[in-house]
Amino acid sequence: MELDDLKPTWQKSQPTTTSNTDIMQLIQHKTYGPVAALKKAFRKQIILMGIIPVYFILINTNDLPHVLNSVILWAYIAFCIGVIVFSYYNYRMVTKMESMDNLVKANLEQQVNLLETRMKWKKAGLVIALAFFILLTEIVPYFQHYRMLDKWHALHPAIRFLIYAALFALQYFANTWVNERRYGRHLSYLKELANEMH
Amino acid sequence: MQKQEAEKEFEKHIREQELLLRKVCRIYAYTDADREDLFQEIVIQLWKAWPRFKGHSKLSTWLYRVAINTAISGLRKKKNFIRNYEPAAMPEPVSEHIGVDDEEERLQLLYHAIEQLNAVEKTIVMLYMDDRPYEEMEEIIGLSQGNLRVKMNRIKEKLRELTKNY
Repeated sequence: MELDDLKPTWQKSQPTTTSNTDIMQLIQHKTYGPVAALKKAFRKQIILMGIIPVYFILINTNDLPHVLNSVILWAYIAFCIGVIVFSYYNYRMVTKMESMDNLVKANLEQQVNLLETRMKWKKAGLVIALAFFILLTEIVPYFQHYRMLDKWHALHPAIRFLIYAALFALQYFANTWVNERRYGRHLSYLKELANEMH
Repeated sequence: MQKQEAEKEFEKHIREQELLLRKVCRIYAYTDADREDLFQEIVIQLWKAWPRFKGHSKLSTWLYRVAINTAISGLRKKKNFIRNYEPAAMPEPVSEHIGVDDEEERLQLLYHAIEQLNAVEKTIVMLYMDDRPYEEMEEIIGLSQGNLRVKMNRIKEKLRELTKNY
């Protein structure tokens, strides 16, 4: 079969799907793509992380001085701020991925680059968050929440650190699994296509 | 008022180029439902990018870029990150499509052979069949004309191989 012989037929051919689409109506729709879904998820995350600490303070207004002196609350607020910053960074990143009018090759390379960077930052962010909470669990009972000293800190340090190590391992495998499920195949597919461009 | 005018102008251009967009959907999606979803997504992406179109390139070149990027990058109405890997959604092997008596049947055979190619090859062959010059293909894809020629020759070989029994 010679392609050139079929060119005239190809150019004359009408697509099988010629529904009478209302273009004006179509453009009023929101995009359902994964980038839009990610943006929505990050927006929700930002709002939620902003609301939760405020809600926590509001329900404890009776005991406000005590609550405001809680190291755990401030640590949690710091964590929420961290998540907000990270979500905002991600939001900006996926916004860049929305631009579809670049050259095909440049667009593919950009998508691969952004997804890889996002995954790297997510990995680092999770490790930092976990280390932060472990540090908090280890240090806070010496200043506040002294009851923890009789419970968690009563365990042999070797056991506690083994559990922390297990948490790091679990976090690593869970993150790898989630990444693979959500972006892994897509990223491999994009990389494969980007390689085809050389 | 200005928005309405922009919408009308956009609609006019999309109507004029609908066949081009439908062909992109025909190439990258396997079922009618997927093609409709893809068409919708492409139109939305075109509308979002429309304010950035300054006429530095031909309208068709720009449309191809947005449509192909949308199709390839998987901005599709799918769970998670695109691509339906389910066997039922994959193209049937070329060998199951027999009967190449007339041009139309040969064209269908060609479409089925193209479905076996990867997305980059599909892009190149589609532009080639639409009779786009290599210069314009370079403006759409971003590969040098020399590279595109080499790839096109390989694709021709591949398609010959895929359809050699007919």
